[in-house]
Amino acid sequence: MATALRIAVLRHIRIPVQALEGFRPASASWNLFRGQNRSLSSHGDEHLEREEVVERVLAVVKSFPKLDPSKVAADSHFQKDLGLDSLDGVEIVMALEEEFKLEIPDKEADKIDSCSVAIEYIFNHPMSG
Amino acid sequence: MAASASAMVVTSRAELLSLFRSLLRTASKFSDFNIREYARRRTIDGFRENRHLSDPASVAAAFADGNSQLDIARRQVLVYSLYAPNVKSVMEIKYK
Repeated sequence: MATALRIAVLRHIRIPVQALEGFRPASASWNLFRGQNRSLSSHGDEHLEREEVVERVLAVVKSFPKLDPSKVAADSHFQKDLGLDSLDGVEIVMALEEEFKLEIPDKEADKIDSCSVAIEYIFNHPMSG
Repeated sequence: MAASASAMVVTSRAELLSLFRSLLRTASKFSDFNIREYARRRTIDGFRENRHLSDPASVAAAFADGNSQLDIARRQVLVYSLYAPNVKSVMEIKYK
């Protein structure tokens, strides 16, 4: 009785091997996709290009009302080349923070005294966007 | 001489710049455009006005005043945030 039932049941149960076969290519491509170098950070994978950082930093510095935009270059020193004082320097760093959505701690901000240092800092900062 | 100099409260350049930065940071947190811009302008003007102070006592007095203003600004940011305007000022709209 039990054996007959077992045979009857087993006759109707099929393990869907076909379905598994169909599933495989999809999972392979999924693995391929995962195999790419994807970062796990939440703030977007793409890091800013250096040219873009340079361009945006210079645009911010040039928009500072007290200086002549034509004098600003990527290696300009705020105080020596552009004739600004330390207060102006703080204002420029604040404007850069706003532009790149950063919060630069005081110790780091005090070191930013030229366009080149600012570009370097922002380019190397993981959160700059 | 050295003893009297150390007895006096000497406000360092770094402390002053840090106060300046804190005031600007706090100013940028006001929800209302007009107040935000006023606080920013007032900070910059205040520091410019006192730029030529050389006497340590008056520098210390100005520094203390700035710190009390910073406390007020921080409190007011909180108070104003409860009554934040629900429309932006036309000055804030950027055309690109």
